[in-house]
Amino acid sequence: MATFFHILWYKIVMFWKVSSKQSFGVVIRNIGSFVVFGSFAVGAFYFSNFVTAYLLENVRIGLFLFHRFIGMLLFVFFVTINLGNMVVSFSTLYRTPEVEFLLTSPVSFLNIFVIKFLDNFFYSSGTLFMVGFSVLLGYGFYFELPWHFYLLMMFGVLVPFTFFAACIAVIVLMLVMKLASKINFRILISAVVIFYLCQIYLYFKISSPVHLVQEVMKYYPYVDLYFGSLDPGMLKLLPNFWVSEIMYFYVTGNFSAVTGYTIMLVLSTVGLFIFALATANAYFYSTWITSLSIKSLTMKSLEFKNSIFSFGRRSIFSPQVDVLLKKELWQFLREPSQWIHLVVMMALLMIFLSSVSTLNIKLETPELKAVVYLVVFIFNIFLINSLALRFGFPMVSLEGNAYWSVRSAPISTTTMYWIKFFLIMTFLGMLSLVISWLSNIPYLYVHRVVGDKPWLVEYVVPQYPVKVMAYFSIIVTPIVTMTLVSLNFGLGSIYSNFIEKNPIRIASSQGATMTFLLSVVYLVFLLALYYFPATMLFNAEMKNLPIVWSQLQIVFAAILIPSVAISIGSHYFGIRSLRRDY
Amino acid sequence: MIELQHVRKTFGSFVAVDDVSLSIPSGEFFGFLGPNGAGKTTTIKMMTGLFTPTSGRIVINGFDVEKQPLEAKSTFGYIPDHPYLYDKLTGREFIYYMGGLYNMQNNELKENVDRVIDLLELASWVDKKTEDYSQGMRQRVTFAAAFVHNPKTIIIDEPMVGLDPRSARIVKDSLKRQAKAGASIFMSTHILEMAEELCDRIGIINKSRIIFLDTKENLHLHKTKYDGNLESVFLELTKEENE
Repeated sequence: MATFFHILWYKIVMFWKVSSKQSFGVVIRNIGSFVVFGSFAVGAFYFSNFVTAYLLENVRIGLFLFHRFIGMLLFVFFVTINLGNMVVSFSTLYRTPEVEFLLTSPVSFLNIFVIKFLDNFFYSSGTLFMVGFSVLLGYGFYFELPWHFYLLMMFGVLVPFTFFAACIAVIVLMLVMKLASKINFRILISAVVIFYLCQIYLYFKISSPVHLVQEVMKYYPYVDLYFGSLDPGMLKLLPNFWVSEIMYFYVTGNFSAVTGYTIMLVLSTVGLFIFALATANAYFYSTWITSLSIKSLTMKSLEFKNSIFSFGRRSIFSPQVDVLLKKELWQFLREPSQWIHLVVMMALLMIFLSSVSTLNIKLETPELKAVVYLVVFIFNIFLINSLALRFGFPMVSLEGNAYWSVRSAPISTTTMYWIKFFLIMTFLGMLSLVISWLSNIPYLYVHRVVGDKPWLVEYVVPQYPVKVMAYFSIIVTPIVTMTLVSLNFGLGSIYSNFIEKNPIRIASSQGATMTFLLSVVYLVFLLALYYFPATMLFNAEMKNLPIVWSQLQIVFAAILIPSVAISIGSHYFGIRSLRRDY
Repeated sequence: MIELQHVRKTFGSFVAVDDVSLSIPSGEFFGFLGPNGAGKTTTIKMMTGLFTPTSGRIVINGFDVEKQPLEAKSTFGYIPDHPYLYDKLTGREFIYYMGGLYNMQNNELKENVDRVIDLLELASWVDKKTEDYSQGMRQRVTFAAAFVHNPKTIIIDEPMVGLDPRSARIVKDSLKRQAKAGASIFMSTHILEMAEELCDRIGIINKSRIIFLDTKENLHLHKTKYDGNLESVFLELTKEENE
């Protein structure tokens, strides 16, 4: 234990020395961070407060459904933290020189594991707790909840909930690494990916949100009542369900249920942590040894030996562009934390799109239709932003210590900057078009199953205003994508860190968090603007009103002008930052 | 041809390089010596465009490094003190990559890649990923990458870091060959024997200023003043004032 605290103390001293380093630039940056984080916290508070009020008072979904939706969001949140922790833990536990160094000293394997695990958890959860607290404040203010609600939710619920996800992540990771000594690592990774995809699919299949809404709405207007009998038994075993129950029962004043679920969550988390420690005690060192033999997990089938993607083969580009493109390609395909994460994110995206593109929307009011449309639209944009942050933000930093090779070569850093931007922009630009088109299918062609044969589908052309809405989004999405990619890429260049090798840690650094918060501000701005054409066009469709074209033009201009300004600003400062001393 | 004219570099109030002026003609092998923290690497980083000088001017092969950076950079090859490479590329791919950055066309590049792989004796492991290389292997790959475009000038920062005796010999021989072929070489080192063996002229920098600049022959004259070895000259010139 003394060794553990000794190492922890020096980690704190190191962190303190780095954070308390004072210079004019650092002070300005800290003030900037404070302003952005502060504004975001305030924004998150108002947003959560507004959404709670809107869903309960305007849309009137009732307390039960509202908390079930929170539960579903928490499930997605849980899986995201879980997967994120697994990928980051792989790097921090098995790939850092610090672990290598500590293993040569008389520190127990268990101590090394706990230090790196906690380091990992707090490093990647700081912002999450801040955002979570702001969201809770917004929620709690709506229900006028007392101060002890926030205390309980932060320390009794949110921290154990995220810790629960992190514990599962390291346990699964160590078991996978243990099996890797016997089974091919690629097969194991594929099995884990398939397992998670199945889990997500099954969760939404079992929880069946549409069925739940239909069942609860039968009791309208008594939708605040508890309809626990509608919950499938299996879902009650999940921690996200417990959290949503704690919130529901707190609001409805059933404190014995709150206590029961909180104790269950905390005890399960403690139990899992003990299990993680036992697993680490038994397997951490042996799995670390195994990790040395799987040093490079490359997509072998994509090596393209002697193809146009090989170095030394002629291509249509100039030699400089040619080698920069090939270098980016191979760096990506040969780095497991890059392509595995992309495969997982794309698979989740496909599941989402397949559900959205076949959505059969039968809503009664134009406002509700507009809300559903806006939710899907903003979720699409949020996905693009997540990909831009995860893969675009670290691109410049990933030059790493080898950046000297570009800086001392006869190529301008601007050229390198644009080549990298071109790559991520092309990928996300095309993806955004696909996402936009697929998610607008229900608004372009309404399909209806014929009789009881699900494979026979007839298409009904929706009314003109709805098609206008869909086309408007298909035009706006690339503009928004360009802005978000520019913002993430440009700020990634400004906050470039050539020391950190792990792309996931770069994408969750302080600079990345700032970028994420700025993009969310932009998304909220976009959502606020989009509300007007959405309600106007769905009103036009359902009430046979004329389309107000001038409103569409104004909203389009109001999106386009700041988007272009943000893109130009991000690139200007991004390119400038590359010229500083290396 | 390398010219440094009153070059100065400061980081806040710290002066790293102060009023350094040097002129190294084509074909000369110049040794740049100095104790740790004297300003050797900062000078080299300014020459290669990694740092911008606070004042002064650097001209390499007729091109101002600050005003015509691309033209200047296309004429030299650089070997840094820490041979960091892209971990996921092989050594051969890295050499191709560097050749491409110097705008070399494919046929010429292929020939030159094969030539430098032979020159630095890399063939047996050059197709492995660089993440598996030792420090010495990395260092030899950076030499190969610096030579691949036949530079007129070679700038080297501490070339012997991590090299075993055989690798050191290979590197020294390759440098001699480049010098013989007419390339001017600017080499920072603190291995005095190496400077003595290879260099035509030697400059010593201490506390950010040049304190000695002369030919190897004249340095020998200094040696006789002390106990006959270069180390004593170096220690005397760079000793702390309070010693």
